[in-house]
Amino acid sequence: MSNTVRVQPDLKFVQELQQVGGEALKKCYQCATCGVVCPLSPADGPYPRKEMVWAQWGLKDKLVNDIDIWLCHNCGTCSDMCPRGAKPGDLLAALRNMAYRSLAKPAIIGTWMSSSKYFPILMLIPAIIYGFIWSIMAGKLGTAFPLFVAEGHELKVAAEGAIIYGGLFPGDYTIDPIFGAVFAFMVFAFAGGIASMLKGFEGMPRTFIVGRGAEPSFLSCLIDTLKVEVAQHSRFQNCGQEEKDVQRFTGHLFVFYAFIALMIVTSVVAVGHWFGAWFLQHVMGIEGGIAALIAWAGHTPMPLWSPVKILANLGAIALVYGLMKLTGRRSALDAAKSSSNWYDWYLLTVIWGIAVTGIGSEIFRLMGQKVLAYPTYYLHLVFVFMMLAYLPWSKLGHVVYRTVALAYARKIGRLPMGELK
Amino acid sequence: MAEKLGVYICEGCEIGKSLNVDSLVDFTKKGKLAGICPVVKKNAVLCSPDAKAEIEADIAAEGLDGVVICACSPRVKWDIFQFGATQVERVNLREQCVWSFQDDPKVPGLLDLMAKDYIKMGTMKLSKSRIPTPDVPETNQTILVMGGGFTGLNAALEAARMGREVVLLEKEAQLGGKAAGMYKTFPMGHPYLKAEDTGVDKLIAEVTSNPKIKVLTSANLVSLEGAPGLYTATINAGGEQQLPIGAVVLATGWVPGDKGFLAPMGYGVYKNVVTSAEFEAMAKAGKIARPSDGKAPASVAFLTDVSLCTKAAPVEEPCAEEGAEAAPAEAPAAAEEAPAYPSTESAKHLAYSSELTSLVALKQAGYVREKLGESIAFVLYDHMMVPGINERYYKSAQDDAGIMLSKADITAVAQDSDGGLIVKAKDTLLGADIEIKADMVVLPTAVVPVTAHEATMNLVYRQGPGFPDLDLFDGFVDSNYICFPYETRRTGVYAAGCVRQPMTLANAKEDAAGAVLKAIQCISSANRGVAVHPRSGDLSFPVFNFQRCTQCKRCTEECPFGALDDDEKGTPKPNPTRCRRCGTCMGACPERVISFDNYNIDQIGSALKEVYVPDDMVAGGPRVIVLCCENDAYPALDMAAFRGKTWSPYVRFVPVRCLGSVNAIWIADAVSKGIDGVIMLGCKYGPDYQCHFVKGSEICSRRKVNIAESLGRLGVEAERVEQYEVSIDEYDKVPGIIERFMTEVITKFGPNPFKGY
Repeated sequence: MSNTVRVQPDLKFVQELQQVGGEALKKCYQCATCGVVCPLSPADGPYPRKEMVWAQWGLKDKLVNDIDIWLCHNCGTCSDMCPRGAKPGDLLAALRNMAYRSLAKPAIIGTWMSSSKYFPILMLIPAIIYGFIWSIMAGKLGTAFPLFVAEGHELKVAAEGAIIYGGLFPGDYTIDPIFGAVFAFMVFAFAGGIASMLKGFEGMPRTFIVGRGAEPSFLSCLIDTLKVEVAQHSRFQNCGQEEKDVQRFTGHLFVFYAFIALMIVTSVVAVGHWFGAWFLQHVMGIEGGIAALIAWAGHTPMPLWSPVKILANLGAIALVYGLMKLTGRRSALDAAKSSSNWYDWYLLTVIWGIAVTGIGSEIFRLMGQKVLAYPTYYLHLVFVFMMLAYLPWSKLGHVVYRTVALAYARKIGRLPMGELK
Repeated sequence: MAEKLGVYICEGCEIGKSLNVDSLVDFTKKGKLAGICPVVKKNAVLCSPDAKAEIEADIAAEGLDGVVICACSPRVKWDIFQFGATQVERVNLREQCVWSFQDDPKVPGLLDLMAKDYIKMGTMKLSKSRIPTPDVPETNQTILVMGGGFTGLNAALEAARMGREVVLLEKEAQLGGKAAGMYKTFPMGHPYLKAEDTGVDKLIAEVTSNPKIKVLTSANLVSLEGAPGLYTATINAGGEQQLPIGAVVLATGWVPGDKGFLAPMGYGVYKNVVTSAEFEAMAKAGKIARPSDGKAPASVAFLTDVSLCTKAAPVEEPCAEEGAEAAPAEAPAAAEEAPAYPSTESAKHLAYSSELTSLVALKQAGYVREKLGESIAFVLYDHMMVPGINERYYKSAQDDAGIMLSKADITAVAQDSDGGLIVKAKDTLLGADIEIKADMVVLPTAVVPVTAHEATMNLVYRQGPGFPDLDLFDGFVDSNYICFPYETRRTGVYAAGCVRQPMTLANAKEDAAGAVLKAIQCISSANRGVAVHPRSGDLSFPVFNFQRCTQCKRCTEECPFGALDDDEKGTPKPNPTRCRRCGTCMGACPERVISFDNYNIDQIGSALKEVYVPDDMVAGGPRVIVLCCENDAYPALDMAAFRGKTWSPYVRFVPVRCLGSVNAIWIADAVSKGIDGVIMLGCKYGPDYQCHFVKGSEICSRRKVNIAESLGRLGVEAERVEQYEVSIDEYDKVPGIIERFMTEVITKFGPNPFKGY
């Protein structure tokens, strides 16, 4: 540490950090309680004390390249113990928010995601897209709330038909291409974000771990991270065993596995439709047998006894349960110790939106309430779009960023004190 | 002289269990003082209401003029053992006899001997005591407040509120002092978060409109003659006038320290390095600008770590001329007449001002934020010293995003190629050695008391016009920082504000009130002929038997408070209202000319002679006298006994007002009587002295050299007389001191050669 470092404080950066959730950061007086009580902090250069002073001084360069913000799982112990109410946990959350905002391009989405005042823009984009589709189809079908009967592969509007969302929002020409594009856009944005994040980590010092041998490859670290930290939520468990910790661990685990379940369901639908029905049956002309089974499995609407549907419904229930836990915990936070920011509420709002409109769509469909069912499904599309399209700029971006950072930290040996055994 | 004494021996607190009290009563009744002790009694619990009533009845019935209470330490139950005008002597049988007794199995009956010694000593001492009858002078009631700054204005108002006439003297043409030049000050009231107006204009208006306050501006004190309650102040305010003054509140404040000391931090080298005083003036004038180009700085670094300056400080003190520069225009004229006054300013004043430095840095960082919008203020501190409620102010400064704070040891201030300033620092909170670029650097201003450069009071005292030994305090006039705030070395002059210690305006306001109360206490004590402090209410005063005086001047020179003037021949002229009754003059006098009615050479000398000294030291044990300071050493002994410490049964304690009052004749008497050693147990002296009377223990240590020489001439080893320093809380060390003396001195040198003569 003998090298002299030219410090160039950035007042605007401090103020930005305060706006995105670190408003109390100036209260820190560097007692280091936070770094000591943190169950996940490494022995060398523990966080979040150093981040607090960097933030106070607006040392942007240090903070935007700081891997430690991803090692934190935001249990809030540091904020609870802070004698000054400086909320270090909130600061790290704010720093992650800054990362969501700036890592991926285009930056404008980062800006829109940073404040509730842009929420209407974010919502209007999918609302207009799907509204446009709805109005065109309504014109084509002669009604905005059509009921369908199937005639072979065709859906016909019929007064005595059923609610079929795919009839109003045809998957082949509207839903799938749009979400395909959105997904590709999201992956592309993440790729840029990850690249820029990893570049920032380059200067990180390596910690030699006795008995570990040569530094492992990034891939093997990523696999370990997925097996341990992601699949088992091991760090979450290390965060603590108090009621609020357990609540958060359970909530997050449920939401996580609910998404896995719903992802499987979506994959089955996609594979059934595009691989089974379109490729095998339509293009290759294979009838019956395995092709029929695959096509059937992905065919919507599904009967309620379909294992895929059961998985979907279980996923939905798990999602709501997890959301209730997480929302309950967040609402009960002691504002003097920790607070929630827009990024937290955005994500909760969107996921709640997805869950409620998803379940609503199913129920209203089954009830045959077309006037309620179609608008609910429309909103469902809007929320799913909002989650997927803006994912790299939202708090949900941690799915990718934190996973990569944890893998990288594992690679360079930056592990919590408790894991260095 | 007390000639009809009642001796009362208590049996409580284990005294009765350890001693045969009946035999003590019997011994006293038949002893050589029996003739003046018509009443000798014991009581199971002497401090009980019944016992007290009995004593009071005896006083009335027998016409007792003195009471010897043989019970516990005089430091306890003093409120019970008071009998109006009847004199009281306390014999400490409990702490110094029973509780601390350590038997020596080789010699029987030691505890009994010790108790008898103490009873005899106390009775003898009281028999030689008289009731003092001081002169009660007609005193002046007016309070002179020196300095019309924030402290002085508050002091004047406080004194006026208490019904006193006040003369407020200000050397400048305008009232207001340093506060008038401040843009704002640290918060003085709830919620203690924001810098605020000093309020000095309002204070000035209140003072000038107050009929009890006579304001003299462009004025200086030519001289202050006389003594507390009886002063005559000669004031020059466009013509000399003489005013009768009772006491003085010294609130002359401070001057900004010599900026030369700041050179190691770039002051005087780089234009954009300024002092906080200069920065304050900029803020007051309304424009914060870089001196180099007059542009508003985008960043200002406030550095409070002055170790570069204090380490680099020259060994030689700066010469007095530098101080005169900061002084107002009329000072040179005065300086010509006045004798050379050694400056006590040094780079240390930068460090002494550190609390203010921290607060000023926070305040002025706030100016940057207030006046320059998006500019950044750095505060680099070695310590952020914001005691008490000011922590809230620190917190609120911290909350400002544009105020960036870090602990830092400044290693250099340099200039960049583009003219910006570079501050280099190590040991920062940022985890590395850092350098910061700033448009301006603000360095601390040292608060240097006016008394570091000037005599200020111009007292017409034999010991000189100023306060003695100010070098011990680097010019600050406080004389006993911890125990006796406001007190200077001159009774009747009470310091308040920054002349006493660097302080905030809020503290200065309180200080002003405190000093005024002391001044009023002083006048009303002089009024009644009693001491002001620390022996508040003491009626005694030194009485001089001038026939025997040889004009040796020791008393006039040694008095720590300059109480004694003298005439051309050198005959001392006492000023009882300046006197603090320590007895240093009595200790000084080789002719034993000076005495107090109730504390004199004969009293203590006679008491010492009551100690029984066995002719054979081997059979009867040695005897050692401990002359102990009643302010610190005596309570330490009491505490030691209370906590179960014990010590040699061969020592006898004799309380003295101050080691300064110890006269060599006592030691000579003791040694000639066969006493094997004398311990003088007093306060710490030197730079961090704890002496109530400032110089007593130090003077005693100097006299000890002479005493040793005299002993040497008699063939007695000089080592038999030793002085030790203890502070009041060092009770645990006392037994060790005694033990060491007994083994190292008494065992080594054996019996006093005079023994048995």
